[in-house]
Amino acid sequence: MDGGWIRRLMADTRYVVTGWPLALVSFTVAFFGLLFGIGAVVVVGIPIFISSLYALRSFAERERRRIEAVLGVRIPRPVYKEPPPDAGALRRLLNPMTDPMSWIDLLHGSVMVWPASLTFLVVGLWWLNAIFGSLYWAYGWLGPTSMNQTLLNVGLGLLCLLTLPLVARGCAQSQARLSRLILSGVAELQERIFGLEAERTTLVAQRDSAVSAEAVALRRLERDIHDGPQQRLVRLALDLGRAEKLFEADPQAARRAVAEALTQTEETLGELRALSRGIAPPILTDRGLVAAVGAIAGRCTVPVALDATDLSGRPEPTTEQAAYFVVTEALANVAKHSRATGCSVTLRRSGESLLATVTDDGVGGAHLAKGHGLAGLSDRARAAGGTLTVHSPPGGPTTITAELPWQ
Amino acid sequence: MAVTLRVVIADDAVLLREGLVRLLEENGHRIVAAVGDGPSLVDAAVTERPDLSIVDVRMPPSHTDEGLRAAVEVRSRIPGSPVLVLSQYVELSYADDLLADRMGGVGYLLKDRVAKVDDFLDTLVAVAGGATVLDPEVVAQLMVHRRSQEPLRSLTKREQKVLALMAEGCSNASIARRLVVSESAVEKHVSNIFMKLELYPHEEQHRRVLAVLAHLRGA
Repeated sequence: MDGGWIRRLMADTRYVVTGWPLALVSFTVAFFGLLFGIGAVVVVGIPIFISSLYALRSFAERERRRIEAVLGVRIPRPVYKEPPPDAGALRRLLNPMTDPMSWIDLLHGSVMVWPASLTFLVVGLWWLNAIFGSLYWAYGWLGPTSMNQTLLNVGLGLLCLLTLPLVARGCAQSQARLSRLILSGVAELQERIFGLEAERTTLVAQRDSAVSAEAVALRRLERDIHDGPQQRLVRLALDLGRAEKLFEADPQAARRAVAEALTQTEETLGELRALSRGIAPPILTDRGLVAAVGAIAGRCTVPVALDATDLSGRPEPTTEQAAYFVVTEALANVAKHSRATGCSVTLRRSGESLLATVTDDGVGGAHLAKGHGLAGLSDRARAAGGTLTVHSPPGGPTTITAELPWQ
Repeated sequence: MAVTLRVVIADDAVLLREGLVRLLEENGHRIVAAVGDGPSLVDAAVTERPDLSIVDVRMPPSHTDEGLRAAVEVRSRIPGSPVLVLSQYVELSYADDLLADRMGGVGYLLKDRVAKVDDFLDTLVAVAGGATVLDPEVVAQLMVHRRSQEPLRSLTKREQKVLALMAEGCSNASIARRLVVSESAVEKHVSNIFMKLELYPHEEQHRRVLAVLAHLRGA
């Protein structure tokens, strides 16, 4: 025992003992507010009723704090309705009446007085008994008393003293639970729904990012096909057509055209290879992220130091892909814009996340604003359920970090 | 065939542009300008007044239908200036933009058609001469639209083929060559088609194409 039960007992007692006058005031306010609201003249009655609602709201607020203290849990604050922004004065005045929460406050104010009276009575009696009973021997002799009476009083007093913490706890808890049920049952439900909605919003955002990342990737793929292999194949066809036409008149020229066609074929194959590497690099699927990033790091025009020593095992394919593309794009940006002389790529696992970091010693000033390549990267990371952060003060260095779910 | 055309070529893909330049020069045409974007095409066409402009649809800066819009612009500045538009894809609505001025001297072909060098060269000369030539794929899109329609079903298989070739801009002679029949046989098919579809026979090639297109479109 460290005396914690004393503090507990005092807290419970305080809750119950102060709860009763508070409940009494609340009840009075609720009663008269309602009385005026229903009975009296509208012009006077309604404003009085509404002010009583506001008063009850503040009582309810205080009660929530008290419940938190005595039950040791967090109570969600309900969302009171704001009047619509274009509301007139009357609408603003009447606003609390349209809010279900106000009526719950009113209910709380009207009913809590009864259980509060009961617990107040019980806890009060127990305290009195505990004090005056167990001390009976000290003052009992002042009046006519017998030994039996003294024993009985002291016995009862000690019993009350022993059970006091339990009784106080029980009363405080039942009162607080009832109060909580009325005051925040709705709010707790509300909070759960908000939680679900927030989750859904995140999912929707994630899906939107995926869609936009995919749309951008597809558009780029189409452009790449159009500008690359397609043009080359047309040229190839043209050269072959020319050769066919030239064979008889000018075999030399025909041979040259065929040679050109051959070059076109080789270059088309090369371009297709690069393109398929861009879509789903075979090395990534075959050998994993470290090997794939090692390969692009080797091709980068800026020297890249790759550190993946902490990375063991392979994350989800979607995470691998996202990480690969973030690193690829980041390196492409480094090569294109940063004027860096060196850069480092770090891949490591941190708990349930894969952290992919690309840092360069370039000029900095990169940001996530729309229209920059980095926005696409951010979409990509979000689509995989992760986040992308960019730290790039003017003058550098630039650090891009993708945090992606491992599983 | 010793026609020498003065040609402007507009294509941002250098590779293809050079190929076209070489092909045309080998066949006796003269390239007066080879440019890589829409505005340059309009400038070149206005200053050079070429016999024909060959235009790629997709060019910078927008990389969408820049070339098509430039071609329309050229024809609004110099009415009837012959334009052959090449594209990686053909779309009916793009063809509509080109045909809207009903002046003739319009071609709209898939880029792939350059491989059939002789046909391609013929097309150049035809368009420069005021013909309207559409890619078989465009016509196919139209035919698909209208295949189920009553008057078209009254045509025989052969007549449908002839109709498609007419829509592409073929003359009776070239239809005869492609279908390996006599020219008089083609003439008979054509007059049958015109009768069945209640079309008014046009002498001028591009008017005939427009009439056939209008019919296929159901206008």
